[in-house]
Amino acid sequence: MNLFEPFHYDFMVRAMMMSALIGGVCGLLSCFIILKGWSLMGDALSHSVVPGVAIAYMLGLPMILGAFTTGMLAALGMGIVKSRTRLREDAVIGVVFTAFFALGLLLISLRPSEINLRTIIFGNMLGIARGDMVQMLAISAVTVLVLALKWKDLMLYCFDPGQARTLGMRVRVLHYSLLILLSLTTVAALQAVGAVLVVAMLVTPGATAYMLTDRFDRMMVLSSLLGLGGAFAGGYLSYFFNGEVGGCIVVLQTLVFLAVFFFSPKYGLWTRRQEQVL
Amino acid sequence: MSRIFEPLYYPFMQDALLAGLLVGTVCAVLSCYLVLKGWSLLGDAVSHAVLPGIVGAYLLGFPLPLGAFASGLFCGVASGFLKANSRLKEDTVIGITFTGLFALGLVMFSKAESELHLDHILFGNILGIEPETLRQVFWIGGATLLVILLLRKDLMLYCFDPLQARTLGLNTVFLHYLLLGLLSSTVVVSLQAVGIILVIAMLITPGCIGYLLSDRFEHMMLWSVASAWISSVGGIWISFLIDGSTAACIVLTQAGLFLAALLFAPKHGLLAVRGRFARLAENRAAIR
Repeated sequence: MNLFEPFHYDFMVRAMMMSALIGGVCGLLSCFIILKGWSLMGDALSHSVVPGVAIAYMLGLPMILGAFTTGMLAALGMGIVKSRTRLREDAVIGVVFTAFFALGLLLISLRPSEINLRTIIFGNMLGIARGDMVQMLAISAVTVLVLALKWKDLMLYCFDPGQARTLGMRVRVLHYSLLILLSLTTVAALQAVGAVLVVAMLVTPGATAYMLTDRFDRMMVLSSLLGLGGAFAGGYLSYFFNGEVGGCIVVLQTLVFLAVFFFSPKYGLWTRRQEQVL
Repeated sequence: MSRIFEPLYYPFMQDALLAGLLVGTVCAVLSCYLVLKGWSLLGDAVSHAVLPGIVGAYLLGFPLPLGAFASGLFCGVASGFLKANSRLKEDTVIGITFTGLFALGLVMFSKAESELHLDHILFGNILGIEPETLRQVFWIGGATLLVILLLRKDLMLYCFDPLQARTLGLNTVFLHYLLLGLLSSTVVVSLQAVGIILVIAMLITPGCIGYLLSDRFEHMMLWSVASAWISSVGGIWISFLIDGSTAACIVLTQAGLFLAALLFAPKHGLLAVRGRFARLAENRAAIR
């Protein structure tokens, strides 16, 4: 087995580069997601975009348009139901996103020839089309730009919405900006790892970085690097695992998380045990 | 007319409807507890985490439900361990654990030369359910239901108010793991009907419908079970008629019932609440 073999193929190099890009952007965003406690929201949005993708394929529209529309509709639906009933937020999210996903599944099952379900569920990094690459680049640029300009406001909002409001920030605007960024990145990550595993890209790098540092700016840098590296290496490994890009990326990121969980210099479980012994 | 009742003549439809009713009942009963406890994400997590267990059990020659149950339970226990030993939030550790396990399952699957159908695991295959699987659904589902019904009061108290449950001398650690085990076994059963990805709908939506329609736990459970029956039977039937995904039809029927309850529930529905506000405003105007 030649270890440099994956680099000989254009589609592999392309897949690794694009995965790395998306991984880095998701890693950056994941810092905010884990502070806000939005794991379920990320999971919900990544499932809610599926009917939009299906409809866009059927009508020949850009995928991002459909995906973004249904993702935002789902978020609005959750907001409405949550604010008007006594149901818990997590239950409302569960009801709404499964309904959206089921709608997507039904549409695909009725027109099976037009869309490949597996592409949506597991991503299709190895056969990515040129148009999709342009969309991913655009989404990444927008997300990084917004986060670079507004990260302090968003950070404060995630840490403590009450304080952000007291300081005169427009909390509602921040809330929806974060939601929009989340939807956009979800659409991009869908291509790389598929609807089911998007949430890993949006949670694991941030959590790993959080175990390594106490400063938010360092956490952002670390988390993007972890996301980038994990996605690149996962894409590389997938060559030896039947092209299972999403699975390889996420397994790798999880292993890195576990290593940090046990051996992080400051917060590692093993490290702290050692200190107690001394 | 004959076309509408046509499905009943096929043995595979009779099996599917029976399985749908069984699965719907178990899920609906458990969902009342999950909705109260706020375990939507954990339900989603456990349902995804069964994948490596299924593939592993297949490779080692163990019964598939056993592997699924074990890895579902492992997901719950592992997230508990990670939560207790780090400063991460609960939703974060759950997200990491279940995606890690699901991804592991995918990678194992890609390497294993197996006759498992990934599509059936992910989206269920109730119209093609085999007699042996139906028997499994019956026994595992029945046992799960029995345990829930025997311990329903303890579980309810634990879900409503864990602190009070402990004060009253209940073993809350045991109840926690029991509920986790029940969740795993329910997921194993309902995989057959709707598959890994949509199980969470069966585990959340009926309980929400029940909660919108009543204030008493027993009534909530009855409504929940009724809605699950309607959506299982209705969904399977519709999917046969329009030749679409069965899992999607079941979940969408349930979502339709939820929407109806949300709008028209006599006390907690949106229209009723709006009506109460309107009457309140009228009364105030009259007093002035």
